[in-house]
Amino acid sequence: MKKRNNWLLIFVILTGMILLGGTVWAEKYTFAWIPKSLNNPVFELGSVGAFQKAKELTEQTPDEVEVLYVGSVASDAAEQARVVEDVIAKGVNGIAISCNDPTALIDVINKAVDAGIPVMCFDADSPESKRFTYLGVSNYDGGKAAAEILIRYMGEEGKVAILTGVPGALNLEERIRGFKDVVKDYPGIEIVTTVACYDDINQGVQVVEETMQAYPDLDGWFFVGIWPLFAERGSMPLWEEACSSGRCKTVAFDTLPEELQYLKEGLLVGLVGQKYWGWGYDSIQILYDYIVNKKEFPDWIDSGMDIVTIHNVDAMIEAWNTQDFTKPLPPPFPEEE
Amino acid sequence: MIEDPQIEEEREEEESQPTLLFRIFHNQLITLILVLLVIVVFLGVTTRTFLTANNIFNVLRAFSWIAIAAFGQSMVIIGGGIDLSCGSNMAFCGIVAGAFLVAGYPVALAVLVALAVGAGIGFLNGFMVSRTYLPPFIATLGMMSIIRGFCYGLTSGWPVRGLPQSFLFLGQADIPFLTWKIPLPAIIMVAFAIFSFILLEKTKLGYHIYAVGGNEYAASLAGINCSRVKLVIFTLSGLFAGLGGILMTSRLGVAAPTAASGYELDVIAAAAIGGISLDGGEGSVWGALIGAALMQILRNALVLLGFPAYWQPSAIGAVIIGAVMIDQYRKRRI
Repeated sequence: MKKRNNWLLIFVILTGMILLGGTVWAEKYTFAWIPKSLNNPVFELGSVGAFQKAKELTEQTPDEVEVLYVGSVASDAAEQARVVEDVIAKGVNGIAISCNDPTALIDVINKAVDAGIPVMCFDADSPESKRFTYLGVSNYDGGKAAAEILIRYMGEEGKVAILTGVPGALNLEERIRGFKDVVKDYPGIEIVTTVACYDDINQGVQVVEETMQAYPDLDGWFFVGIWPLFAERGSMPLWEEACSSGRCKTVAFDTLPEELQYLKEGLLVGLVGQKYWGWGYDSIQILYDYIVNKKEFPDWIDSGMDIVTIHNVDAMIEAWNTQDFTKPLPPPFPEEE
Repeated sequence: MIEDPQIEEEREEEESQPTLLFRIFHNQLITLILVLLVIVVFLGVTTRTFLTANNIFNVLRAFSWIAIAAFGQSMVIIGGGIDLSCGSNMAFCGIVAGAFLVAGYPVALAVLVALAVGAGIGFLNGFMVSRTYLPPFIATLGMMSIIRGFCYGLTSGWPVRGLPQSFLFLGQADIPFLTWKIPLPAIIMVAFAIFSFILLEKTKLGYHIYAVGGNEYAASLAGINCSRVKLVIFTLSGLFAGLGGILMTSRLGVAAPTAASGYELDVIAAAAIGGISLDGGEGSVWGALIGAALMQILRNALVLLGFPAYWQPSAIGAVIIGAVMIDQYRKRRI
């Protein structure tokens, strides 16, 4: 009797092992995708890209890939660190994170890596941590690109104003540094003022209009972020008049639908944008390749910038409408090709 | 008990001459108006744009919603409380109005629903403070966070856009008056200032608000229903913040879930600069109006003068402290 029971036990264990083996063949991977905050629409778009890639990988590979989209509601490094700890406790196969602070996240990132969970950064890096790679852009190069577009449309002389968000935010300061480095080679261009709106639409609208009053002969604007452009037509009458008449040229960062519309109407001459959708789409691919295919990645992966002008704005609008950003954009300045 | 005859004399003088001028001075307004005038004259001389009609009306429009919220805030502070939820409330009422408009409801209905939501949030604050005896700071701090969460949750972080032109009229229209074109929000602001003034200074309820804020125990002994007064002032604060939020939304043409972040501090600062004592029981709504004006004029001036953006917060902070210091000095002298 006892012997028979033992045989039964062995049988059960063997069956279990075979079943387990089957699941090892088609492994399930869960990747946590952690943005800086949940209240910023660009991360929402990034998560769409992440879910899209997870769906594609599940369909195209034997594995099942799942994305866990979690984060703190507002941008807050301490809160984000707590989220990472939760994710470690929950147990995932990999983490992609956009760090609110490069230093504050080191500890939890290292904790995750020590627990056997590979971590990569996108959008905002934590270079001192044990993350295996960083997918991002050089904001400095983005600022340079913005200056080059502005000069192309405005000419090599004129008065230019800069609108920034929170003074001291590293990504914004880098963009301004790049912009200024290009402009300083053109003695005819004068940066007359830099105004800040503290990431607030209302204050953005206000300071742009005030600047238009203080410098009625302004020739160019560099909006380092989208802020005042979230507002509807009619909220910045002086700026709108100056730009639609062509007296003043504006280049802005980001490529959100609101801005594309402004560009199509001729109020903006150029946009420089990060590939938000790619933050999700590409980072899930990188995690999968790193963990499953054991692929090696460099310390820093340049995700590149989208440059949008009147020549390719329609393609960008189309991409937003279909939420499919896989097709490359047509060239922004076709006359040079 | 021997009394100094000189003091006696002075007291008599004060009592016998409650002139209009003295009363205004007593209401802390003259000091503020003088400070305001000095700044305006200085800016008129140093910049060529400050005293243009265009700029003045731009400034008026820009602080109108802060001022309107500050009137409600003033009532709460005078009544001995504080309302930290007004910034979130502004954003949320804008989103509610925006959502109804986008769904195709008429402007009047959308605005009324949003105002009712604002007042409802205020009522909940008042309920928590007066019935569950939560300290106002805690009740409204919690509410601030709850409402902000609703803003994010209902919109998933995306701003509500595509609002109809008939709604944008509220915030963007200019009303011709003599040779000027006065922004509609500024007119609404003045109307609400007068309404709040009458309510606070000329009605029994207003008298009760001062009494509750001055000494709640004494007020309740005098037969004043303190919890009803609190319910009313918090509801009004919510309503006013909601109106401010709706005007701001219609001026921008977009209801962003992140809008008005931190505005509660601007609103409270406007009241404090205006001489409304955070201890309660003291101050007037005109002070809040001037306080809001002072802060916006300062922001405007810093841009017109080309003051480095990086130093602006320090300048604003210095003005808040300076204004309240002057007020304290004046109070001691009287």
